[in-house]
Amino acid sequence: MKLSHNWLIELTGLNWTPEETAEKLTLCGTACKNIEPTAKYMDKVVVGEVLTLSAIEGASKIRLAKVTTGDEELQIVCGAPNVAVGHKVPVAKIGAVLAGDMKIKKTKIKGVESSGMICSERELGISDEHEGIWVLPDEAPVGKPLAEILDYDDHILTFDLTPNRADSMSAIGIARDMAALANKKLMLPQTDIKESDKQAYDYISVTIDDAFGCPRYAARIIHNVKLAESPWWLKKKLITSGIRPINNLVDITNLVMLETGHPLHAFDLKRFGSNEVVVRQAKEKEKFITLDDKEHELDKNVTLITNGKTGVAAGGVMGGKDSEVKEDTKDLLLEAAYFNPSLIRKSRKKLGIVTESSSRFEKGANPNGIEFAINRAAHLYQQLAGGEVASGIVDCYPKKIEPANLSLRVKRCNQILGTGISQARMVEILKALEFEADNSDPIKVKVPTFRPDIEREIDLIEEIARIEGFDKIPTPQSITGPLYTPVHWEDNFKKEIRTLLTSSGFDETIAHGMVHSRMASLLEPEMKHLKLLNPVSEEVNVMRTMLATTALSVVSHNLSHRNMDIKLFELGKVYFPPDSNDDWVEEEKLILAISGSTAGNWREKPRKLDFYDLTGALDNIWAHLRLGEYSIVEQPVGWMENNMSFSISLEENEIGVIGKVSSKIARKFDIKEDVYIAEIFMGSLIARGKPLIKFSNLPVYPSAPRDLAIIVDNSVISSDIIATVKKNAGKLAESVKIFDLYTGKQIEEGKKSIAISINYRSAERNLTGEEIDIKQMKIIESLKSEFKADIRDK
Amino acid sequence: MSLLDDINHINNQAKERISNADSLDSLNEAKVKYLGRKGELTAVLKELKNLSVDEKKSVGAQANRCRQELEELIATAAGKFSTSKTDSSFDYTLPGTSSQIGVVHIINQVIDEIVNIFHGMGFEIARGPDIETDYYNFEALNFPPDHPARDMQDTMFVEGGRILRTHTTPVQVRKLEEQNPPIKIIVPGRTYRNEAISTRAHIAFHQVDGFLVDEGVSMADMKGVLVAFCKSFFGPDLKLKFRPSFFPFTEPSAEVDVSCFLCKGKGCQLCKYSGWLEILGCGMIDPNVLIKTGHDPEKYTGYAFGMGVERIAMLKYKINDIRHFFNNDIRFLRQFK
Repeated sequence: MKLSHNWLIELTGLNWTPEETAEKLTLCGTACKNIEPTAKYMDKVVVGEVLTLSAIEGASKIRLAKVTTGDEELQIVCGAPNVAVGHKVPVAKIGAVLAGDMKIKKTKIKGVESSGMICSERELGISDEHEGIWVLPDEAPVGKPLAEILDYDDHILTFDLTPNRADSMSAIGIARDMAALANKKLMLPQTDIKESDKQAYDYISVTIDDAFGCPRYAARIIHNVKLAESPWWLKKKLITSGIRPINNLVDITNLVMLETGHPLHAFDLKRFGSNEVVVRQAKEKEKFITLDDKEHELDKNVTLITNGKTGVAAGGVMGGKDSEVKEDTKDLLLEAAYFNPSLIRKSRKKLGIVTESSSRFEKGANPNGIEFAINRAAHLYQQLAGGEVASGIVDCYPKKIEPANLSLRVKRCNQILGTGISQARMVEILKALEFEADNSDPIKVKVPTFRPDIEREIDLIEEIARIEGFDKIPTPQSITGPLYTPVHWEDNFKKEIRTLLTSSGFDETIAHGMVHSRMASLLEPEMKHLKLLNPVSEEVNVMRTMLATTALSVVSHNLSHRNMDIKLFELGKVYFPPDSNDDWVEEEKLILAISGSTAGNWREKPRKLDFYDLTGALDNIWAHLRLGEYSIVEQPVGWMENNMSFSISLEENEIGVIGKVSSKIARKFDIKEDVYIAEIFMGSLIARGKPLIKFSNLPVYPSAPRDLAIIVDNSVISSDIIATVKKNAGKLAESVKIFDLYTGKQIEEGKKSIAISINYRSAERNLTGEEIDIKQMKIIESLKSEFKADIRDK
Repeated sequence: MSLLDDINHINNQAKERISNADSLDSLNEAKVKYLGRKGELTAVLKELKNLSVDEKKSVGAQANRCRQELEELIATAAGKFSTSKTDSSFDYTLPGTSSQIGVVHIINQVIDEIVNIFHGMGFEIARGPDIETDYYNFEALNFPPDHPARDMQDTMFVEGGRILRTHTTPVQVRKLEEQNPPIKIIVPGRTYRNEAISTRAHIAFHQVDGFLVDEGVSMADMKGVLVAFCKSFFGPDLKLKFRPSFFPFTEPSAEVDVSCFLCKGKGCQLCKYSGWLEILGCGMIDPNVLIKTGHDPEKYTGYAFGMGVERIAMLKYKINDIRHFFNNDIRFLRQFK
């Protein structure tokens, strides 16, 4: 919300600068986000008078104006259709900077020199009006700076209001906080009216059939209003608040809304269609045309103002087309009503419109501020439109909304805030905010109805705190609450995985888990994905059930930006629709994805990253977190290559998959390169915890390393060979490792050479050469018989 | 001739050979001739066994002195010849051959940093589901149905009547339901909003929420903890400003601004020339939240606070586009090593 600073000063009589006002209001909860001078675009803009107008050869839309600014005559090319000789106009001289950063320079248009600009309202930053130039009143003195004659020495404050504070959506509401801070009284605007002999009751009656939606409806009748342009002081208040002045009849209701926070509505009494106001729930599918010429279908959440037959206004949201105030309007039916905030919310949602009116009623207007608002408007109609105000307010208020009675315990307030504010100061603050407060403890408080947000003692405590100032609350140096709180293994587990993977060259990624259903189904066609009901875009309309879906997008993004060598991981969640027991499952997973080559350096050539880089990383994690041993078993996975697709198991439980992404799937992600992925459920790993390390004595007796090279068929897998070696070597084999693998020229086709090193050691004694030889013989024999292995000589 | 004379003779001869040596080879020859396994001084030492105990002592000592002296001379002389080709060709400026190290995502780095500071002040880490019920996300946090406060957080709905949590605060409700005070919790996590994606807004982001509920907890306690946090995180010279604000689940509520760490409060582009940066929201837990979770607000009070991780990361590292975080371009990720 925007407000003129001068307006706030007018209401408070304070002499604060705009900066002081902004700072003080911000520190008491009415955040002022911006201060802007009103005459920002009026430097070097003066009043000019058009002396002559002449056509420019070869141009039909522009004319040459000769303009006097008192001390000089300027030649200005002007394109506005409404410029005429004798008009007083705003003239921007050379050097002026207008709205939209338009710098005025001497130019030539169609060969004609132009030394300035005749401005529209938009160019001066006053409104969006730019159909023609702004014609000033005839009495404007030529040569005077525009800002001066407009009385425009002001600042616009932009407030960022919180949704609870209905009262601060008005100049008076904000001024009330200022007055409270300064402990001064507000200076309210005039509301005095000379009522005519006519009785309002003779012209209108009010019936409320929907007291839930509209607890109060008040009306005044004003005869013989004269349509005119509003005076500048009124227009200025609207303009600085971002509302376009239209004419006095419309501007007055807008001004009173800005001033008091209470939205009013003026109907043309002749077009109202009857002499009775009936407020009722709209019927299902009832049709209604709002004054912006749109037809709506209503429902029972809309409180409809009717003339007893048809709707004339969607109460609190927008008036109707038929009863709108027009240029020929003579008599007004002025409405000041109070609508139920939560119904207004439903109503404006149904209508799909948010108006200045609906946003105020939705937060909560003041049901007991109606007399003030309607009288203020009537006063202005009398003063500015010559209106004759009929006697009396036709006021239907079946059940008065009473101020809330609360009590405030002084000790409790200081306990919550950690302060030592006196009872007297608390009372002073409450009274400054126009609450009634007595001198007892607990303080008995009557809350004015313009503060519907104050319902409990704690709300009063907040009022005390914000006016006293949060800076008055001390900042202790000690800690409250428990000193010890547990550390959870899950957090450390993930931290350790991050450390392990980053230290082996993997970069961590994070994805938000929302994906396109088509991509999600590519990887898991059988899976039911959890749908988003109101996705921001169709690109993200389901929740992922696999990290691979998002990881492939990340890989694709990087490859397309020529980041070819990538090792990525993510620790993230996958989400499943509720099962038959209505259990909603989110699971933590880990994904590794690699593509391209190792970095390499001057000593080691880069090589392609592959499957073993994934298993190597998994080995590190398994060893470091002491997870036992995992096994990899061939298993077809839909989105992986047929011959490169495996499951990962931990003690018989399948916990994930590993392999190479099939080229068919990769292409769907615009990936042409090989991508290897391992994706693992973390839950079972985390559940195992990290076993405590138990120290083992260092070996006393020396080890005896032996190497063995064998040639076997390509189809023999290394884990089987290792298992056979271990079985035959027994407890004496401290470690069994493959240290070389060779296929090629020196080996028969279809075979491979595998070199194994076995480290023998006993914890109890020195081993003899003979006993190791016997073990080696046994190993060789079983390798021969089980795998038809040939033993290679050294 | 006594063995002592022999030693002196060898010493003199050897010194001369060493000083005359004109290459590393001739120096080595001298070394072998006198000090080698079959060298002259070694031969003398072998004679020692035939001497008396006293003589052994004096001759032995003399022989050792001689050996030591010669070894030093040889080493010094060798230094003169040591400008060998292999040494001068060693290029110590070639890059070291370390393996490449990866990087933890900047968002997780920032989360860890924040969480560690609070853990040090006794806050326990807790987590909750991303897919939440309206009850935990809104209702129990004092957002009444059809209240304008709900518009502060545009919500994404999933089928089955749940929502993607719009903040990490629902974990507060879950913990308050599970435990009895004192409860002191810090909650990092992912949150979602139904917003158009732009340089400043995303449909998903991260928050860290924290709260303490105990007997006699005051707003002053909250200020103490948050001032300590901001100083640990942004630097000790920082100034803080607590401004009243509104959150449905706290009362009183505040917004915390810190003096801009870039311009030290003088005003710059980062702080939009205000000198201040909005860092976190906080307040005293609303009595309604305590009542809804079964605690007596007369007995227990508490404070809560929350901050946006992306916002803090963007301010701290001057990142100009929130979309970088989820794009995961490795050129972005690796800047935060």
